[in-house]
Amino acid sequence: MSAIREVKFLRELKHQNVIELLDVFSSKTNLNLVLEFLDTDLELVIKDRSLVFLPADIKSWMAMTFRGLEFCHRNFILHRDLKPNNLLIASDGQLKIADFGLARDFADPGYKMTCQVITRWYRPPELLWGCRYYSTAVDIWSVGCIFAELMLRTPYLPGETDMDQLKTIFRALGTPTEEDWPGHTKLHDYVPVGQFPKTPLRELFTAASADCLNLLSKCLIYDPKRRIGAKDALNHPYFFALPYPSHPSKLPKPAKKETGPPLEEVDGNVEMVGSGPAVRANPPNKLKRRRSSEDFGNRPVARRLDFSK
Amino acid sequence: MAQRNGWLRGTIIRKSGASTGGSTRTGTPSQVQSTSATIYGGGVKDPSGRTSEYFSMDDQCPVCKSDRYLNPKLRLLVSACYHKMCESCIDRLFTLGPAPCPICNKILRKLAFTPQTFEDLTVEKEVAVRRRIAKEFNKRREDFADLRSYNDYLEWVEEITFNLINDIDVAETEARIQQYRVENAALIELNIKREEEYQRYLQEQEEAERQERELRAQELRRLEEEERDEREKAKQGIIDRLETSDKDAARLVAKSRAEAQKRASARAASSSSFSQSSARLLRSRAAQSTVVPDVPHIPLQDDYYGYGDMFVQRDTYYDPVSEAVRKDREGIMRAGGYMIDQAWERALRFAVAGLEIAPPTGVSRQEGMAVGGKGPADVVMATA
Repeated sequence: MSAIREVKFLRELKHQNVIELLDVFSSKTNLNLVLEFLDTDLELVIKDRSLVFLPADIKSWMAMTFRGLEFCHRNFILHRDLKPNNLLIASDGQLKIADFGLARDFADPGYKMTCQVITRWYRPPELLWGCRYYSTAVDIWSVGCIFAELMLRTPYLPGETDMDQLKTIFRALGTPTEEDWPGHTKLHDYVPVGQFPKTPLRELFTAASADCLNLLSKCLIYDPKRRIGAKDALNHPYFFALPYPSHPSKLPKPAKKETGPPLEEVDGNVEMVGSGPAVRANPPNKLKRRRSSEDFGNRPVARRLDFSK
Repeated sequence: MAQRNGWLRGTIIRKSGASTGGSTRTGTPSQVQSTSATIYGGGVKDPSGRTSEYFSMDDQCPVCKSDRYLNPKLRLLVSACYHKMCESCIDRLFTLGPAPCPICNKILRKLAFTPQTFEDLTVEKEVAVRRRIAKEFNKRREDFADLRSYNDYLEWVEEITFNLINDIDVAETEARIQQYRVENAALIELNIKREEEYQRYLQEQEEAERQERELRAQELRRLEEEERDEREKAKQGIIDRLETSDKDAARLVAKSRAEAQKRASARAASSSSFSQSSARLLRSRAAQSTVVPDVPHIPLQDDYYGYGDMFVQRDTYYDPVSEAVRKDREGIMRAGGYMIDQAWERALRFAVAGLEIAPPTGVSRQEGMAVGGKGPADVVMATA
């Protein structure tokens, strides 16, 4: 199912900040996706303690993320699983959004969407409260969490369970009031999670510029309707202010290449188990898929999937 | 040593502008002569020779009260305790070994006197202290896990520097420096090496650039010569042909002109490709040394056309399908951030997107859907 989704959307998306699907072929029962080969991902970069991030580097990554996301949203596709692990980085430094296994097109009125999407730490409060009608704002929340993570070098809102996640969010950003977020108490799974005071972001992000915190706070607004859109975010003064975003080729990269387990056959159907694959912190087949594309990247593929039938 | 000597001989002596006596007494020595010039080190070393020893018309030795009027060759040197003295006093007091400073009684040695660079001796002291500190406190940004700790380190270094300059807790500060030196010996060494390497790299780069310029100039000269030869040859060719052939003269001239034109343009193309390749070379080297300029932010980098000029979206539509969403009695959709405008926009955009594309002929409808991606398939989606 997720493989089908991935194929469905990636075939239509072609952008420098979205991973490119080169080919699809099936062997017996497996569906194989040939994806662009990308060296590393943002999670490894964040975790590599030997790297130092300049404010310009963070700006550059954020600009590329927003650009890729804006392209998806412009094409009416919700990614629904944004996290550093899914932001892959090419050898030339370009950041590319990958893993469209949970993506779906949006804006069909009246269709319920599942709320069991997005890795928990990056899941917005409306999904945690079981909202079935949402839109582009869910991805923006994830990007906001990634933004904060880039500055902190550690996950911003690491909740242990769904309930704990809400608590973590409110502890960091304060409990929303009816004024902050009209109607949130009527959400499907609404449960009150205690009262936490609002603490200014400045206390945690001491070194960030004012522009930077302004954009971050706009990404983490509770009311999804007021949360900033990808396009507006790209036009935010933060990106225009000095220092200019680093040139992609200058961005820090982990030095050593990981040597993973030997190549495994990619089973596109592996994610079908369970109702919410993304609830797991690390979808396991991500790395596998990346390595497989390394293998097939520059080789003529066996058979082309015929889409005209 | 040679460098230092050059500095001390100080061929350029800048007169202090503030001195009032200077303008009246112009017959002063243009060069500081000293028998012991080679002995004293210190001061600001500047291989370019643009800085020079400080020297004023009002100079007076605080020890023997001799001034420039009495001794035109007067040269004041600065002690380790930052007191000025003339050379003859230094010779008199310290030739027989370490002796106390006549002003503050600190024990001084002859070799520790340095020429003066700045008028203000506190500046002199600050520069000396900073130079000493910078030699050992040479950690870089890369040596720290994050900006925070680097800033803390810089703050700490500044504190030490300040203490030394203003003589606050000197003993304790010296102890701190000593401790730092012991703890970070390896890193200090490494950073000194790094700095040297960087200097070498800069030199190499300069050298390479110079060579490239030379090469390019040579190439240009060669091209010019070739062109001149060719022109000569062509001229000769026309004359020869006019002599031998019995064709129309005007046509022959026109023909050889056209040929010359062709050759010239070919040459221009090749030379432009030459300069282009050198530009590429430069760029690739720039990439190696990671000095790609950061370009200002451009919000969207693709040429996206959203058919925005082909439809106008109204505020509301008669849309029974989305009735439930719009009424939204419980506020579920309101709070979730679902926006019906986006659904309408999508329908509208997809509806107009296919208008320009002619329906495929000779293929079945099904195939058209799969191949088209956009186009007929989207119209079907939007109307469904």
